[in-house]
Amino acid sequence: MRLRLTIVACVATLLGTVGLYPLYESGGWFGTGCGAILVVGVAGALTRRFRVAAALCPLIGLAALFLYLTVRFAAGQALLAVVPTPSSTARLGRLLGEGWHDANAYAAPVPMLPAINMLTSTGIGLVAVLIDFLAVRARRAALAGLPLLAIYSVPAAVRQQTAGWLAFLLSAGGYLGLLVSDARDQLAGWGRAVFTARWSAAVPAGERPDSSPLAAAGRRIGLAAVAVAIVLPFAVPGIEPRGLLGIGGNGGSGSGKGSGSITGLDALNPLVSVRRQLVREGDAEVLKYRTTDGGAPDYLRMYSLDRFNGETWSIGPLRAGQDGRVADKELPAEPGTAAIPARAVTTNISIDSRVHGLDVLPMPYPPTKVNIKGDWRVDPRSLTVFSTHDSAGGRSYTVTSIRPEPTYQELVTEAAPPDSITSRYLAVPDSVGDDVAKLAAQLTAGASTPYEQAVKLQDWFTKPGNFTYSLTTPPPRRGNALRDFLFTSRTGYCEQFASSMAVLARILGIPARVGMGYTAGTQQSNGEWLVRTKDAHAWPELYFTGVGWLRFEPTPGGDGGQGSATVPSYTAPQLLPGAPGSDPETQLPTTGSGSGSAQSSAPTVPRHRTDTLADSRAAPGAVPESHTSQLPVTWLLIGLVVVLLLLTPVTLRALTRARRWRRAKTDVAVAHAAWDELRADAADHRLRWPASETPRATGRRLTETLALEGAAAEALTRLARAEERARYAPSTERLATPREDVRLLRAALRARASRRVRWRARLFPPSATMSLRSAGTRIMDVFEWLDVATPRRRRPT
Amino acid sequence: MELPIRIRVRRGRADADRRRAAWPDGWPEEGLVAVSTHGDVGRGLEGLAKISGRISGAIESVIEGKPDVVRLALTVLLAEGHLLIEDVPGVGKTMLAKALARSIDCSVRRIQFTPDLLPSDITGVSAYNQERREFEFKPGPVFANIVVGDEINRASPKTQSALLECMEERQVTVDGHTYGLDGPFMVIATQNPVEMEGTYPLPEAQRDRFTARISMGYPAPGAELEMLDVHGRTSPLEDLSPVARAGDVRELIELVRNVHVSTSVRNYAIALVTATREHPELRLGASPRATLHLVRAARAYAALEDRDYVLPDDLQYLAGPVLAHRLLPTAEAQVERRLPEHVVAELVAHVPVPDPRR
Repeated sequence: MRLRLTIVACVATLLGTVGLYPLYESGGWFGTGCGAILVVGVAGALTRRFRVAAALCPLIGLAALFLYLTVRFAAGQALLAVVPTPSSTARLGRLLGEGWHDANAYAAPVPMLPAINMLTSTGIGLVAVLIDFLAVRARRAALAGLPLLAIYSVPAAVRQQTAGWLAFLLSAGGYLGLLVSDARDQLAGWGRAVFTARWSAAVPAGERPDSSPLAAAGRRIGLAAVAVAIVLPFAVPGIEPRGLLGIGGNGGSGSGKGSGSITGLDALNPLVSVRRQLVREGDAEVLKYRTTDGGAPDYLRMYSLDRFNGETWSIGPLRAGQDGRVADKELPAEPGTAAIPARAVTTNISIDSRVHGLDVLPMPYPPTKVNIKGDWRVDPRSLTVFSTHDSAGGRSYTVTSIRPEPTYQELVTEAAPPDSITSRYLAVPDSVGDDVAKLAAQLTAGASTPYEQAVKLQDWFTKPGNFTYSLTTPPPRRGNALRDFLFTSRTGYCEQFASSMAVLARILGIPARVGMGYTAGTQQSNGEWLVRTKDAHAWPELYFTGVGWLRFEPTPGGDGGQGSATVPSYTAPQLLPGAPGSDPETQLPTTGSGSGSAQSSAPTVPRHRTDTLADSRAAPGAVPESHTSQLPVTWLLIGLVVVLLLLTPVTLRALTRARRWRRAKTDVAVAHAAWDELRADAADHRLRWPASETPRATGRRLTETLALEGAAAEALTRLARAEERARYAPSTERLATPREDVRLLRAALRARASRRVRWRARLFPPSATMSLRSAGTRIMDVFEWLDVATPRRRRPT
Repeated sequence: MELPIRIRVRRGRADADRRRAAWPDGWPEEGLVAVSTHGDVGRGLEGLAKISGRISGAIESVIEGKPDVVRLALTVLLAEGHLLIEDVPGVGKTMLAKALARSIDCSVRRIQFTPDLLPSDITGVSAYNQERREFEFKPGPVFANIVVGDEINRASPKTQSALLECMEERQVTVDGHTYGLDGPFMVIATQNPVEMEGTYPLPEAQRDRFTARISMGYPAPGAELEMLDVHGRTSPLEDLSPVARAGDVRELIELVRNVHVSTSVRNYAIALVTATREHPELRLGASPRATLHLVRAARAYAALEDRDYVLPDDLQYLAGPVLAHRLLPTAEAQVERRLPEHVVAELVAHVPVPDPRR
């Protein structure tokens, strides 16, 4: 019957399904899944009990599963609540179809509807049938990993994020257990394992062959593999955006896991994903759109980076509740935009089908309505439209957005922004420094309102001669990149410009964030606008009470700057209606490419520079500090951790030594302490110290191997005698100079050791790591116990 | 003074001659002669070292270049045990036994084990005394302080087993009467492991009663040369005179009993013996008596090493001689030529040494 293996296979399946938890809102599926696994397991055991032909086993398993589903979900239609009838079968089929529809209609986590439950149980049951057949009947435990992997990868496929490490650990543990169990049974068929290196304890006749030493090796390898699989991604940035050292990511923001809301993209780093996309595509077409906005459409925003930690701008978690779907309804209104004149703009956007992994929709800001197929949701605070399992690649959608046209009076208002805005968009860490604040004040001297301050800032950035636009800026090796950009190099690209202006604005008390996405692109001859990866861009967004978020453009545009960058018209106060001295004839700022349709038509707009470094640098909304000064800090941290790790054994060793001597009060204790110290020293210098050796024998052996003479030999004899007396004699003798003796012997050990061993003893003493190793062994013992405990109680039949 | 043995068996003439040779003026009075050892014994371990040094010196004047063997023999004597000397002919087994016996002034009997020897030839018989019209017990050669049994495996098991009672219980029961033996009582038996024709291997029970089995081994070339020189002219055994008295030995034995054996060392002895019982290559492990003998021998050995406490080293050193001859290897081990000695050495190398702190 292979009961043991059957049970292990069931447990492995069960552990594999644990990874499904992110897909559901509640845990009801787990119970029914357990039931399915149990039924399939029992059916499998019975087929083996009655020696059914192998080919029939999966069929019987499926029949059992069918029976189980009937009882569980269609008991009312079944005969005696058990025997399937046509009507019960029809109900099951209906449920299945409903489940399939629901699964496609809802985004994870889905509510625990009966249909979904049924679908889940069916899936789990099928996997259980497959695993039972492969692992137990066909004895191919390794192959059973494939269905396990399939079930494990479902959340990854649906939510584009893997299950937690704990789920992985459980799944991997279950699979390893299956392998171990299978290997044990296979080995048992070959009789007793023969050991030569170590004498093995007597094996009483009739006991199961002892394969535990071999299994221990297997467990060790398995454990190491799992540990590497879990730990390695933390250490490698980029592979997993959740990484320990993820740049600019927002690792600690997994707090939004309440019911009814989902936390999508909470740690996804726009930088990483979009840059990866950029690198892959080169200067490729990203999207095309048609707009009703005339000749100068607004930028297409994707993200708004709202958190600033002194170095890096990053994105907070995007959240959307159950009602966050954008389909067929109005998006939440942007706070404080009701009063100003604005015109509605409709944009038809088609994302190129070659774009992969774009899970945030580029669209003009602020959008009011989005028409798109699939499960797209809106984060109400940033109005970012995103999806956790759909990609925008190849899709077309229509966005209705508002193009604000504020008057001067509306902009220069001094009313305070609402608390919900100030609490989120004004934080500047202390690390930014007073000189930056001083600079901000100095730049905006004479400006009385936030709007005027913002305009002065933009002017300062875009004034020719002040800053140089360059994609080849070498990242500063150390220090604050912001300060480096503002005071020293004054060379950078959109990332630096955008984030610096946002920081300065925040310092001045203007709520600010960094928008990220694409510029309007270039207009084709057929009136369509084309956006390429080189149009990726970042810009500051500033909040004005009564007006809302407004885009500013500090990055130089045109030939010597970001090619398709345009300065918004409202940033030129003299052009605004109602502005003092407003003159419609005044020219636009020289750096902008203007809003005239003639100027922004495709052939005249200068193209972005095609620098070799552009791909890696010109990520949309990439933030300056992220790959300039973040790295040295990261590396410093890594170095610090490494140094600490390296120093740990030495420190431990010194501490142990000090404690040993300190605790030795009596003569006996002193003798023990001296001996232990000598033992630790010997371990450090890689001398063996068998447990079956008496102090006297050890003394003899060391004297021989180290060729000790004179004082050292005498010291060793003294220590050995004292130790053996302390251990075995009724009275002990006093060691006059234990520390000197030990020191003398350490010197002797050192003198005999090779250079490598000597340095190892000095820097990385093995005696200090012994406790770690013994802890590891103890963990292994737990595994051993888990493995051995069952057969010990069972007798072979 | 009173002689140390209650039942005096007839002393051979040689004994008297020997004594006369050593002490021409008659048996010395207490306190008058240098050999008087009572004072030494009184001084504890130092006295023990002095006396044991004299005894081993005396033996080594006969047996050249075998200090370890001599020491083991002394250890067994002080541990109140019996010694089995097993080696090929001509390496001095009997010489060692006799030298040990002679260096102590006590009664010594030698039994040559032959196939036709009967148990009563060892224990003694009740003979009918016609004059007194009653049976009279004639003590056998076992009534002595040191009994040298030469070629013990040549006698039939029936005869061999006559020694069982006296070796373990130090008494002889004949015709319903039990006669006690005086201490010190030590059986030194020799046997030849090579020549098996017409021999009867010792039964387990008999072997278990010997505290230790030692083998002499061939002498080193230098020692052999010296032996040629010395033995060529005279027999050093003849010149050997006793250097200690039976009473001294009794006191030394008493002294040895007081040697300290810590709990962890006792546990170590048990661990070693237990390991022999669990070893897959052994059909029969060591008995609890073996544990007793091991610890007793370790006490004696420690005392000889001038220590009043036993070390695991003593047990390790003695494990081979004390345990090996009691163990029965399995058939597989025999095929693989694994001797019990090898197994014991392996155990000694693997059983962890006790550390009271752990």
